Amino acid sequence: MGQLSLKTVIKTFGDIQVVKGVSLDVTEGEFVVFVGPSGCGKSTLLRMIAGLEHTSAGDIVIDGKRVNDLPPVKRGIAMVFQSYALYPHMSVYENIAFPLRVERAPEEVIRQKVNAAAAILHLETRLQQKPGQLSGGQRQRVAIGRAIVREPEIFLFDEPLSNLDAALRSDMRIELTRLHKQLGATMIYVTHDQVEAMTMADRIVVLNAGYIAQVGAPLELYHKPQNTFVAGFIGNPRMNFLPVTCTGVSDAGVEVDWQGSRRVIPVEPRAGIEGATLHLGIRPEHVTLERGDFALRLTPSVVEQLGQQTIGYAALPGREENFCFVLPGTRVIEDDKPLDVGFAAAECHLFDAEGQALPRRVDLAAMSVPPAL
Amino acid sequence: MARRSTDTRAMIDRYRWWEMLAIYAGLCLFLFFMLAPFIEGFLVSLKPLAQLFSSPYSFWPENGSFKAYFTMWDTVPGFARYVINSFLISITSTVIVLLLVVPAAYAFARFDYKGMGLVLGGFLAVSMFSGAVLLIPLFRLMRSMGLLNTYFAMIIPGAAFLIPSAIWLLRTYMMRIPTELNEAAYMDGASQFYTFRRVILPIARPGIIVVAIVTFIGAYSQQFIFALTFNSKTEYMPLPIGLYAYFGKQEVIWNELMAASFVGIAPAMVLIFFLQRYLVGGLTAGAVKQ
Repeated sequence: MGQLSLKTVIKTFGDIQVVKGVSLDVTEGEFVVFVGPSGCGKSTLLRMIAGLEHTSAGDIVIDGKRVNDLPPVKRGIAMVFQSYALYPHMSVYENIAFPLRVERAPEEVIRQKVNAAAAILHLETRLQQKPGQLSGGQRQRVAIGRAIVREPEIFLFDEPLSNLDAALRSDMRIELTRLHKQLGATMIYVTHDQVEAMTMADRIVVLNAGYIAQVGAPLELYHKPQNTFVAGFIGNPRMNFLPVTCTGVSDAGVEVDWQGSRRVIPVEPRAGIEGATLHLGIRPEHVTLERGDFALRLTPSVVEQLGQQTIGYAALPGREENFCFVLPGTRVIEDDKPLDVGFAAAECHLFDAEGQALPRRVDLAAMSVPPAL
Repeated sequence: MARRSTDTRAMIDRYRWWEMLAIYAGLCLFLFFMLAPFIEGFLVSLKPLAQLFSSPYSFWPENGSFKAYFTMWDTVPGFARYVINSFLISITSTVIVLLLVVPAAYAFARFDYKGMGLVLGGFLAVSMFSGAVLLIPLFRLMRSMGLLNTYFAMIIPGAAFLIPSAIWLLRTYMMRIPTELNEAAYMDGASQFYTFRRVILPIARPGIIVVAIVTFIGAYSQQFIFALTFNSKTEYMPLPIGLYAYFGKQEVIWNELMAASFVGIAPAMVLIFFLQRYLVGGLTAGAVKQ
């Protein structure tokens, strides 16, 4: 159990529609991440699933039962808040025991469940301390403990790691993935951090301005974004877009012209786009110093050295956005000096004037571990 | 070798010697202004009555003693009763105010409803009136309710005038408690009342203690005017009215009056002193990460 369906869910605040008809099916045991820029409605959507916000229209169905009008506790869900929302006057033990005390569980059951949760979260030695004495990561674990003891079918996480520092965040990411495996419960996780989304999710839901922009596995979003929004949102630094003209369509793909060089991009062909202006997308990490299918000379104005990689930003004539490239390792690149770079046609993405992708021919199955039968 | 500083204070808290001197001089001047009546009152309580009217007047008592602190109990035999009355009135007012204000402030802090701004504005407007302005209507009200010459005549108006400011004070405090605590408790199935009792009340404790102290002091200081107007029974008199008993027909027994004043306020001072210590303890408890 732990199956969730959203059916054209809408949320309005006054005159403003924040969530504009979201439909989604989450299967049991899945780790789903809602990601999107601030104000895209991801937190509101989570709060509607939680039962903290009223649903303006549409249905929320958990395990085949419409739960729109049920309080959170009857939906079989638990939520972990960004600010942890621990009760500062109670010990860690009492914080974790709180949901059980509310339902008046016997003392013996409480002790057993709290100790079990503490063992899972490595909090055994902290049970008698107050939240104020704990570090950020420990507090977050207490908040998770409070969710675990209720044995919910669905866990909701609202940006749970954004108050932690970078090192702790990656530790907690691993911990949460381990917890998901251990508990096997459905988890819905809201974040604006795409690294969290990419690393933890079974499926990512990218939200944009109240709509779902795309739903898919992390690598699917990376390799086959359905539109320019997802293409730009997933991947860091963001994808470069170049205006190209379509010069022909064949079974091999779509031929485009960019500043005189004509190349065939291996995407699903679409009839009637000859002559149209398309957007060619190329990720910064796919730009190389070799002359590829496309070559361009640019003058990086800023070069960032990260040791592990070298990032350059260059203005292109007639384009507002900088063209960005990421080269592996440490490269000696002088800023304000012309540089020849190139990229392969096979790495390119192609989008029509509306920003919809022409699907790339990428074998995703080859990139993932085949599911066990 | 570099010189090492042993001063552990932050740079912003460091002053030159003459700055320190000026600060302390200012503090002493300010304190003297505030405490001068108490100093003079205490010195008077030590002097024999005859010396008070001697000319030239001597500020420091000659052959001063604590005699007045013993004789005052004989001059006005009901004095202890007045002190107890004062406490009874103030504590009862404080309890009534807290019982009404704590849930009210929570409601004002957490729930949004139509007309809330109007009600809060009304409270602010009411607290601008002092009780003295409304004495005559209040007197008629007390009379028609048959409350004149009872403890209630001094407790109820006192409490009523203290409620508005107490609500404003506690509401501000409660608004600082994160809403997410309510939401978390709601997610776990707790009812509004359960959340209020188990989560909000304990966290709001320091704020409630502040309100209790302010209300107690307010009730203690404003009981004079209500006692003077609504009560004529000697046995119900609070301390400020009771002190009038030292005003004899021929003369005012100043030294005993001053001694009685100090004895009268001593219990309240002790009480507030302990509540303040408790307050600091409450504030240092671990809070939510903001």
